[in-house]
Amino acid sequence: MSETLTLVAIGIFQTIAIIAFAPLLMGIMRKVKARTQKRLGASVLQPYYDLLKLLKKDEVVSDQSSWIFRAAPWVMLVATATAALFVPIFLPFSPFGTAGDILVMLGLFGLARFFIMLAGLDVASAFGGLGTSREMMISALVEPALFLTIFVVSLTLGGTNLSSIVAASAGQFVSGVLIVPSMLFALIAFFVVMLAESGRIPFDNPATHLELTMVHEAMVLEYSGKSLAMIQWSQSIKQAILLALFVNLFIPAGMASSIVGIDTAATSVVSFIAKVLLLSMLVAFIETRTAKWRLFRLPDLLAMAIASSMIGVLFFYL
Amino acid sequence: MVDSMILAQPDILMLSSAGLLIATFAVVVRRGFVDWLSAYRYQSIVLAGAAATIAYFAGAWEIYIAAALTLLIKAIIIPKVLLRVTRKIKDELKTEANPYVSLRLSVVIAALLVGLSYALTRQMLPDSTLDKVASTYLPVSMSLFLIGLFVMVNRRLALNQVVGLLIIENGLFLFTTALTHGLSILIEIGIFADILVGVVISSILLYRISQTFDTLDVGELEKLRDD
Repeated sequence: MSETLTLVAIGIFQTIAIIAFAPLLMGIMRKVKARTQKRLGASVLQPYYDLLKLLKKDEVVSDQSSWIFRAAPWVMLVATATAALFVPIFLPFSPFGTAGDILVMLGLFGLARFFIMLAGLDVASAFGGLGTSREMMISALVEPALFLTIFVVSLTLGGTNLSSIVAASAGQFVSGVLIVPSMLFALIAFFVVMLAESGRIPFDNPATHLELTMVHEAMVLEYSGKSLAMIQWSQSIKQAILLALFVNLFIPAGMASSIVGIDTAATSVVSFIAKVLLLSMLVAFIETRTAKWRLFRLPDLLAMAIASSMIGVLFFYL
Repeated sequence: MVDSMILAQPDILMLSSAGLLIATFAVVVRRGFVDWLSAYRYQSIVLAGAAATIAYFAGAWEIYIAAALTLLIKAIIIPKVLLRVTRKIKDELKTEANPYVSLRLSVVIAALLVGLSYALTRQMLPDSTLDKVASTYLPVSMSLFLIGLFVMVNRRLALNQVVGLLIIENGLFLFTTALTHGLSILIEIGIFADILVGVVISSILLYRISQTFDTLDVGELEKLRDD
């Protein structure tokens, strides 16, 4: 009984950690990006200051909007925070794994995205509609790539339960397998999908307010105050979840393969933080190196992700 | 539950074939000549590693030399030569603007070609007749061959014919080495000299084409009439 309680406590701690530190991760990525562009950049805590400032501000809601506009940020925040419950972060274990697997997590992301797209259309401003149609195009193309990737991952690691596949990945590493070829192709596909889902640069520029290029920013252009804070926060949580998932599935080095002892737990916490930091720096470097792609070239990149995961499936069956 | 098959030893053969395929896909997805060359360079490095692995398995010193020659000629000399010769060609002539089949479709087609070559190899040569090296590398070499052919047929740019040819040659090299465990070193050197001369000649030809017709589009070349 007490063991179950400990496990639940660990799970809740993991979830709270990812929700609380997600803006910090965003801040670190912005800082790295700024430094690589020879700018000084804002403090890594800037996302927190932004959130606090937005929370204090008054909110302006268009009188043309319906309840969807007001509900969407809440739905988004709750859906992403719930998705954080299912993701094993420091340990290959999440106590709520029985309640939801990787498909539920993606479904929650889909729910959040659906509501924010509705909200973008709801106010009937030109920008909202523009951003929504672009987002719909990208998400419709991301979906097949994402599901093929998940298919490869679950075939290779056995199942869609996040706890068990992360544990299987860590177990493989412990038994001396650096990377399975099918997972190598899934890694490439998942990296592209991760950039698309979290709205990073070849797909969307999170820092832009230029009407020709913005996707996500255009959708949430009408939001202000507390709602905007919620949207930004859930965006950073989503990104942190995707980074954590990438690290835990594909780079299992240092992760404990089972929940034993405090020393292995410490190793996996430290190695997890190091890996996520390195990965986010890599993403920031890529953002500095590449320009945002033209909208109609994005399907090329996603086709590459699809092809890569197709070959992953092929390699699995060999 | 983890399949015990997956928990086998780190499989260097599979990983190197994955590397070869990734490099080939880089040629399919990229548009610029320099990008293709860097993908080809990377592919040749992996190919040299694969050849060295075959040499290790077969215990033949000739293949080590072939691997070293691959590294020297294909990863260093050929890209350098091609870059040097095409340096004077304008940049806009060196990017593929509109291939016959769009890039995103050609990536999917390339993936299907990989699948096809695996299926064909399985059909023709059951695993029992081959050793491990051959059964891993044969389908990869076939897919290099098919994708190289596809790249040659699909793209309008004459530079692509050279890159496609080089990919096909890489596939052939892998094919012979994996199947026969090394040709005579004399033949290998002959092939390397052949490909080197071929690249030099074709790049000179490319330069002449670009100078005379101010385009490298093979579709345009068809329209020429002697009048």
